[in-house]
Amino acid sequence: MKPSFEEKYRLLYERYEGKKDPWGLDIHACKKALKTLWPLYDKYFDVELYNQHNIQDKSYIVTSNHSGQIPIDAMLVGIAFAMEADNPRILRAMVERFLAKLPFLGELSAKLGAILGDRQNANYLLEHGESLLVFPEGVRGISKGTKDFYKLQTFPSGFVKIAAQTQTPILPIAVVGAEEFYPYVYNLKPLARLLNLPALPITPLFPLLGPLGAIPFPSPVDIYVGEEIAPPRSMNFDEIQEVKNKVENKIQELINHGLEKRRPLKQNIVKLMEQFQDTDE
Amino acid sequence: MNNLTTTHSILILGISGGLAQILAKKLFEQMPHCHILGVDAREVDHVFKHPRLTVKQLKYSRAQFEQLFLTHQFDSVYHLARMGHGRLIDSLEKRLRINILGTNHILNLCKRTEVKNLVIMSTFHVYGALADNPAFLSEDSPLRASIEYPELRDVVDMDQICQTWMWENKESIHTVILRPTNIIGPNVNNAITQFLSSPIALKPIDYNPAFQFIHEQDIASVLAKSLELPTGVYNVAREDDFLPLRDVFKIHRPVSIPFPLSITKVLKGRLSPAPEYLLNYLKFSCLISGKKLTEKLGDDFFQFNSEQSVEQLALK
Repeated sequence: MKPSFEEKYRLLYERYEGKKDPWGLDIHACKKALKTLWPLYDKYFDVELYNQHNIQDKSYIVTSNHSGQIPIDAMLVGIAFAMEADNPRILRAMVERFLAKLPFLGELSAKLGAILGDRQNANYLLEHGESLLVFPEGVRGISKGTKDFYKLQTFPSGFVKIAAQTQTPILPIAVVGAEEFYPYVYNLKPLARLLNLPALPITPLFPLLGPLGAIPFPSPVDIYVGEEIAPPRSMNFDEIQEVKNKVENKIQELINHGLEKRRPLKQNIVKLMEQFQDTDE
Repeated sequence: MNNLTTTHSILILGISGGLAQILAKKLFEQMPHCHILGVDAREVDHVFKHPRLTVKQLKYSRAQFEQLFLTHQFDSVYHLARMGHGRLIDSLEKRLRINILGTNHILNLCKRTEVKNLVIMSTFHVYGALADNPAFLSEDSPLRASIEYPELRDVVDMDQICQTWMWENKESIHTVILRPTNIIGPNVNNAITQFLSSPIALKPIDYNPAFQFIHEQDIASVLAKSLELPTGVYNVAREDDFLPLRDVFKIHRPVSIPFPLSITKVLKGRLSPAPEYLLNYLKFSCLISGKKLTEKLGDDFFQFNSEQSVEQLALK
């Protein structure tokens, strides 16, 4: 039998209660967020976590592909590690500076575990036994147009250097299903450049229907956890590149495997409608 | 290393301040044969009396400094006369004059009169409170305080002048520059104690950065011990010791008015809990690493952690 939310949360609570965090991680705020987001994870996106036996009780640099136009994939991976893994953890997502600057939102994101994307911060957390969540593709990955769905963008090597410095293993993750949150996307790059935005995705419904058009489709999401990859033994350029390529190839391999077994969007829509009718009756 | 048994002549600049007086008391305990001359541009009548302490009020001017240094032969000089940035103090021009020009005169005179030890009190404010600050800035981190607010230029310039001078003269003068985090205690009246003790406690609700505090007794102990530290720059903070700002209010000002810092710009400074150029320190963390100093002094050197320091202030 699947453990209840409270049972799962208790494990998290035991790990984090009383721990001081310089960015302000707040386990009670995490509980509220997890409780609120759980139906989205469990029902709306019907997330399945595969190969969770690969998640050991230790520090990782969890490295994933990035997709879906808005970082819902980060939220889903975060919930999976907090609520589904046998050794639950709050993954520390590395975010852009602009988020830390925003009143209220900066604090909220920090309470939920986000930290400013900085190598010094990453080192500190890993040395203190935490796990990081990184999306090396960054904006290039999340804002892909339909024709590039599930094609990994080249990874920079920063996360591998952090792994080498702290001797932390890298845990490759593939998220399959998030690209279909917005099945048809075109990235208006010239306008994005003009407006000084990192990307400007348009879909058949957005911006046409305003905020309503931005609601993602309930595409079922599969998260595949690969076997951990050992960090480079030194900061040697060739060694760093070798590990980086290994991580890239592994994630692409997991994506390809996931695509073969992908659950169709239609199936989840039907399931959701049935559940909705059940509650109605 | 200084010989603690022979006569040692010490100059403390800024003796009127609470911290300077705690330091003087500690030095008397630590060095039974030292003689201290304490000077300040402010009133000095309230300064404690001690047979080996001479106190003088003097204007911080080139001529006065020259006369002071040329008529005494100091073994050690403590420069604690940096003007702070609290709301109640003087203009930027005055700060630039005292903190930069004044410091320059002091450095030159230390060299000219062959002072053996110089201890300079800088501040962690030099790093600046910016949204992209990593946690636990080391002494090598860039000094970015004046990037957003030129009003903090004097803080950075003074530190940099002292650093350059320190390395140029490292063979002849033992120099230590301290960058302490927020100093609090019943005898200190700086920007942070003014903010925490203002009659109306405005508690920021839109930001909640982590804060570090060091108790006045602890920083005074570090100052006294500085004569034995190797030449260099040292952050002064306990390792892995911090408090979210809202917890500070919980301890120190349980009754406070929630206040969004984001509206201070709209209000053009009215109602602001601190001068505009210090508001970022209430929005973004500026945590420093005290590792370098702790390695020299030992883990148990500090008496108080941040929480205890705030509790002590609350008891004032």
